[in-house]
Amino acid sequence: MKEIRVALAGNPNAGKSSLFNALTGAHQRVGNFSGVTIEKHEGYLDYRECRITVVDLPGIYSLTPYSPEEIVTRRYIIDERPNVVVNVVEGTNLERNLLLTVQLMEMEVDLLVALNMIDEVEQKGISIDIDQLEKLLGSHIVPTSARQRKGLDDLLDHIISVSDGRIEIRKNKMTFSPQVEKAVESIAGLLGHERDLSKANHRWLAIKLLENDREIYSQVQKYPVWVKVELAIQEAISECGLLQGTDPEVLITEDRHAFVRGAMQECVRQPRVSRATPSEKIDMVVLNRVLGLPIFFFVVWAIFQLTFTLGAPLMDALEYAFALLSDTVAPHLPNPVLRSIFVDGVISGVGSVVVFLPNIVLLFMGLSFLEASGYMARAAFVIDKVMHRFGLHGKSFIPMITGFGCSIPAIMATRTLKSRSDRLATIMTIPFMSCGAKLPVYVLLTGAFFPPTMAANVMFGIYLLGIVMGLWTAWILKSTVLKSESEPFVMELPPYRWPTFTSVILQARMKAVMYLKKAGTLILGAVMVIWASSNYPHSRALEAELARETVRIELSPVAQEQKEQALRHLQASMESRQLEYSLAGRSGKLLEPLIRPLGFDWRIGISLVTGLAAKEVVVSTLGTIFSIGHAEEQSGLSAILRSDPGFSRATALSLMVFVLLYIPCVAAMGVMKKEVGSWKPVLLYSGYVLLVAWVASFITYRLALLFA
Amino acid sequence: MKLSELKAGDRAEVTSVLAEPAVRRRLMDMGLVRGTELEVLRFAPLGDPIEIRYKGLLLTMRLNEAEGITVNKLASAEVCTDGGGGIRRRHRFGRGA
Ligand SMILES: Nc1nc2c(ncn2[C@@H]2O[C@H](COP(=O)(O)OP(=O)(O)O)[C@@H](O)[C@H]2O)c(=O)[nH]1
Repeated sequence: MKEIRVALAGNPNAGKSSLFNALTGAHQRVGNFSGVTIEKHEGYLDYRECRITVVDLPGIYSLTPYSPEEIVTRRYIIDERPNVVVNVVEGTNLERNLLLTVQLMEMEVDLLVALNMIDEVEQKGISIDIDQLEKLLGSHIVPTSARQRKGLDDLLDHIISVSDGRIEIRKNKMTFSPQVEKAVESIAGLLGHERDLSKANHRWLAIKLLENDREIYSQVQKYPVWVKVELAIQEAISECGLLQGTDPEVLITEDRHAFVRGAMQECVRQPRVSRATPSEKIDMVVLNRVLGLPIFFFVVWAIFQLTFTLGAPLMDALEYAFALLSDTVAPHLPNPVLRSIFVDGVISGVGSVVVFLPNIVLLFMGLSFLEASGYMARAAFVIDKVMHRFGLHGKSFIPMITGFGCSIPAIMATRTLKSRSDRLATIMTIPFMSCGAKLPVYVLLTGAFFPPTMAANVMFGIYLLGIVMGLWTAWILKSTVLKSESEPFVMELPPYRWPTFTSVILQARMKAVMYLKKAGTLILGAVMVIWASSNYPHSRALEAELARETVRIELSPVAQEQKEQALRHLQASMESRQLEYSLAGRSGKLLEPLIRPLGFDWRIGISLVTGLAAKEVVVSTLGTIFSIGHAEEQSGLSAILRSDPGFSRATALSLMVFVLLYIPCVAAMGVMKKEVGSWKPVLLYSGYVLLVAWVASFITYRLALLFA
Repeated sequence: MKLSELKAGDRAEVTSVLAEPAVRRRLMDMGLVRGTELEVLRFAPLGDPIEIRYKGLLLTMRLNEAEGITVNKLASAEVCTDGGGGIRRRHRFGRGA
C-alpha cells in the first residue's frame, strides 16, 4: 500500500481539527512535537489503496518565529517534508486566511487548499470564483465542509493526485514591491553561491531574512556568505526606510495583504451584509458592560457544576466499584501479605488513578464546548484585566477556578494558554486553590474546634488565603523568573458556532487517554510507594502480640459480644501502632522537630506524609492514629481530637493552613511534571510551597496562641 | 492619535503600527496594516482590553498593545457603510507600488 503523509495547516478556528476528525475518525493519537508541549495529533485512513497519514499542525496566523506554534509548523514542513500540505481555510473569512496561504506558497511546498465551511459560504450567499483563485494561488482548491462531511473524498482524491504528481502545483511567486523584490533577488542570489545551502529555498530564506527572522538569521550566520548577505540586508533596510518610510518587514507584510486583497476583489463577491452579524448581536449581550461579568461567572459556575456536581456520583460509583472489587478478590488470596499488596496496594492504587476520570472527561467536554463555540476567547476578554494585574492571562481564569474542584484536570486545562510562561505561572497557582479533597480536612477541624456559626467563616478564610497566596505566587513568578516571555494579548473573537458532538467527545476521550497513559503510571507508582511506606516494615513483635492477645481474648470467660468488641479494639490499636512503626510513622517522628513550632506532633506529621497520596487521606490517618487509647469511648474523631491534649484550636488552624498550602498530592505532581516537561521546576516549586506553608502555619499558630 | 484613545463606536484608519517586534508582528499578521479601516466596538466590562472590528473580523487587544497603533480618526461620513467588507474600495489596493 502506498503511504502518503499529509499535514493540515491553517488559522485557528478554520476547522482543522474538525476536518482531521472527519478524515481519520477514531484512528488517531496525540503526542507532542519534540521539545515543546504542543499537542501533535496524528491519525490515518486507508483510501484507494493508500495509507494516508494526517498530522494536524497547530493553528497559526503566520509563519514567523514568534510563537512556538509557528516554529513547530515551519520545522515540521521543512524537516519532515510531508508529501502534501493541506491548507485549511475558513471560506467565510478568506481574506485573513489567505495571508497564511500566501506564506505557505512562499515555502514552495506541495500545497492544496481546502476551502472549508463551504456550507456557511453558500448559506451567506458569498460567491467565490474558485478557478480564478486557483490561477492566482497556483494550487488546487477543494471546497469542503468538515461539519457536513462534504468534499472529503474530493479532497482525498486531490491529495493522492498531488502526491502522484498528476496535479502539478504551479509554484507561483508573489511579486513584492520593487525595493523589496530587488533585495530578495539579490540576497537569494548571494545565498545561491553558498554550496552548503544549495538545496535550500533561497528565495524563502531571503524573504525571511528581510523579515528579521531570528531563526533564519542564526541558520545563515554560520556561512561565510553571511558577510555579504548582512550588507545587502542593511542596504535594503535603509532603502526601504528612505523610499517608503518603513522597514522591509512591514513592506513585505503589506505586500502580502495587497496581494490577498487583490485576489479577494477578483474572486470573491460578498453580499452587502446587514450591520450586525448574529455573532455581533450575541456579543452585544454577552460582552455587555453590565451583563458581561455576570454571564461570565454564570458560565464558569456551570462548568464547575458540570464537572464536580455531576462528577461526584460517578466518582462515588467508581470508588464503590473498586471497593467491591477488593471485597471479591480478597477472599481468594489466602496469603495475607499477598492480599495486602494486591488489595490495598494495587487495586486501591489503580482506583486512586481512575477516580479522577469522570471529572477529567466532564471538564474537557465542557471546555471543548466553550472553546469550539467561541465563548472561551470572550471569557478571556471579559476577565483579562483582573488576571493581568497578577501577570496572568485572561485564559488563566478557567483552569484556576477548576482548581477548586481538583488540581488534576485544572492543570491539564492550562493547555489553552499559548505562552509557556503564562502556562507555568497558571499551573503553579492552581494547587493553592483549595481542591475538593482538602475539604474533608477543613470540615473535620472546623467542626471539632469551632462553633457552627464560626466554622463557615473560618473555612471561607482558608479559601481566601489560598487565592491570595496563589495570585501572589503568580505575581512573584511573573515579575521574576517568568518575566520575559509573556504572550501579547492580541486575540481574535471567532464567530459563534455550534460545536459538533463528535469533536467534543473526541476531545474528552483524548484527554482521558492522555491522563491514564502519561500521568497514570506515575501516580500509581507514587501511591504504591506511600502505601508501602505506611505498611512496612512490619513489626514482628506487634504481630506476635496480636496473636497472643487474640488467643487471650478468645479464651477469656466473657460473652461473645464482649469478645468481639475487645477484638475490634485490639485490631484498631494494633493498626495504629503498626502505622507508628512503619516508614511513614518513623518519618513522622523524624519530622517532629521541624513541625513542632507549628504546633504539630509526630502523629500529625504522619498524616501529612500519608496525605501526599491524596489530601483526604489526612483525615483517615488522623482517625487511625488518634484512636490509640480512645477505642473504649466509641466517640467520633472530632470528639477525640478535641479531648486530645496535643490538639488545640491553634493547632487546628495551623494544620488547615498547612494542608492548604503544602505540597500538592502525588497525582497533581505527576500531572504537573507531565505538563511542565521536567522535574526540576516541580521540585523547586515543592520546596517553595513547603516553605510558604511552614511560614504561614507558623504565623497562624503563633497568632492563634496569642489571641486564644 | 492612538487606538487606545478612541471611544466605542469610533472609526479610524491605521497609520502605523509601532510596538515591540513580537506584538507588531502579531498585529500585522492579524491584518492590521497601514490603511486598514477599523471600528472600535467596545471595551471589556472592566475597561480593558478593547475590541475592534475590521475586514469582517473581531479582534481584541490590551490597551497597552493598542497604544502601539496610531490611527487617523475618521468622521462617520467618510466611511463605507458596510463595516469594512472592503470589496468596493478598489482605490485602496496597490498602494501605488
Ligand atoms: N458550518 C461549519 N462549521 C464548521 C466546519 N468545520 C468546522 N466547523 C466549526 O468551526 C469551529 C472551529 O472548528 P475547529 O475544528 O475546532 O477549528 P480549528 O481551531 O481549526 O481546529 C467548530 O465549532 C466547528 O464545529 C464546517 O465545515 N462548517
